[in-house]
Amino acid sequence: MNPSHGPARIQDPLKLVARILRKFYSEWLRLTYPFAAIGRKTSIHFTCRIDRMNAHRIKLGSQIRMEKDSSLGISLPPEQEGDPVIIIEDNCVIHWRSQIGAKNLIHIERDVLIAQDVLIVDQNHAYEDIHTPIADQGFTEGGRIRIGQGTFIAHGAAVICSQGELVLGRNCVVAAHSVVTRSAPPYSVLYGNPARIIRQYDLDKQEWVTGPVRAPQTELVP
Amino acid sequence: MISPLMPISESTIPELAFNHLARMEDPLGVFPRLTTKFFSLWLKTTYPFHSIGRDVLIHHTVVINRRVAPAISIGSSVMIRKDAWLNTFDIEDVKGPTIVIEDGCLIGAGDVISAKNRIHIERDVIIGKYVLMQDHNHAYEDLASPIKAQGLTSGGRIRIEQGCWIGQGAAIVSNQDELVIGRNSVVASNALVTKSCPPHSVLVGNPARLARQYDPAKGAWVGGNGRSASVSESA
Repeated sequence: MNPSHGPARIQDPLKLVARILRKFYSEWLRLTYPFAAIGRKTSIHFTCRIDRMNAHRIKLGSQIRMEKDSSLGISLPPEQEGDPVIIIEDNCVIHWRSQIGAKNLIHIERDVLIAQDVLIVDQNHAYEDIHTPIADQGFTEGGRIRIGQGTFIAHGAAVICSQGELVLGRNCVVAAHSVVTRSAPPYSVLYGNPARIIRQYDLDKQEWVTGPVRAPQTELVP
Repeated sequence: MISPLMPISESTIPELAFNHLARMEDPLGVFPRLTTKFFSLWLKTTYPFHSIGRDVLIHHTVVINRRVAPAISIGSSVMIRKDAWLNTFDIEDVKGPTIVIEDGCLIGAGDVISAKNRIHIERDVIIGKYVLMQDHNHAYEDLASPIKAQGLTSGGRIRIEQGCWIGQGAAIVSNQDELVIGRNSVVASNALVTKSCPPHSVLVGNPARLARQYDPAKGAWVGGNGRSASVSESA
C-alpha cells in the first residue's frame, strides 16, 4: 500500500490502547508515588520499574519520556530521608530497557537523550572478600554522576562511576556499546571499551579536533 | 557544581491521593508478581525439565521451548527475569542437561543462554541484563552460501563457577574446549570473554583482559595498572 494514501498517514488506531495505558500509569505515578518533584507532561510507560519505596528521593522534571522496560532504581534503605539521588531535568528521553541505578547522585540535565539498553550506575557490587559470593557482598561506596545538557548516549553504552565524580560535559556523544568510567569535557565524542575521546570541539580554534585528544581533565578510576 | 536543590522548571510537588500509603510498595505491582508466580508454577508442573527446584521464579515473558525442556536443569531459589531466553538444540545426542543453573542464581532481564553442548552456571551467580552466553557459533567456511544456511560450529562448553558476577551487556562465547570463569570472578559491563580465567579475577574490555586478580600466594590483589587493591573496581 502506498504510504501516502490517507489512512496510512494517521496514527495506528490500535496504538490507542497502549497510549491510554501509558497515560493512566503516568497519572497513577503522579497521584500515588511520593516523588520529590514531578513535572508536567512527564510520560512513563507502564512497564517501567520505579522504586516506589525510594520515590521520595527521585526528582523528575517536565516532559520527560520514559519508554518501555526502563527503570529507575535506588539502592538505599527506604526509610532514609535526604536529598534526591536521581535528578532528571526537563525534556529528557530514556529509551527502551535503559537502567539508572543510583546511590549517591545521578544528575541528568536537560535535553539528554538516552538510547536503548543504556546502563548508568554510580555504585558497584563490592568485591574485596574472595570467599563470599559477590551477590552477598553489598555495594561499594560509589561516586556521583552528572550528565551535561544535550548529551546523547547511544545504544548499549554504560556510564559507571565507582568513586569520585564523573562529569560528562554538555553536548557530548557516547558511541554505541562504549563503557565510560572517566569524565569528559564538553563537546566531545567518546568511543570504545574503555571509552576514549576520539573527537572534540576546540572552542579556541572553533573547529573539531580528531584523533586521540588530550587526556580527560579529571583522573578517575577506570 | 552539582546542586541537588536546583529548581526544575514547572515541577510540582505532587499532592498524593493516598498519602499514608505512599511509602509502601506499589499495589499495582501485585499483578506482575501473580503472573510470574503462576507461570513458574505452570512451568514446574507441565514442562518436562531435567530437574527444577523449589522457589523458582520465572517471568512469564521468558522463552523456553517445551520440547527441549528435558535438557534444562534449574536449581532452587533461581530467579529468571523478563525476556530471557534459554535455548538448546539437538537434545537426542547429548547426555545429560545442556543448561544447568544451580541454586540461588539470578538471571537478569533479556539474557540469552544458548547451549549446544553444556553451559553450567554454579551456585549464587548473578547475571546482569542483556548478557549473551553461547557455547557455539555460526559456521563460516563456505563463501557462497548464506551464513544462515551454514549451520553451527561444534562449539565448546562454558562453566561459570560459584559466586561470580556478570555485568550488563557482557558476552561469553566459547568456540572450542571448555571456558571456565573461575570462582567469585567479575566480568565487567560490555566485556567480551572468549578465554578462561582463574578464580577471583576481574575481566574488563573487548576482548576481555585481566584487570585485577587475587594472588593466593601473596594474599593480595595484583594487577590493575599498579593501582592499589583498596581501590574499588569498576565494572
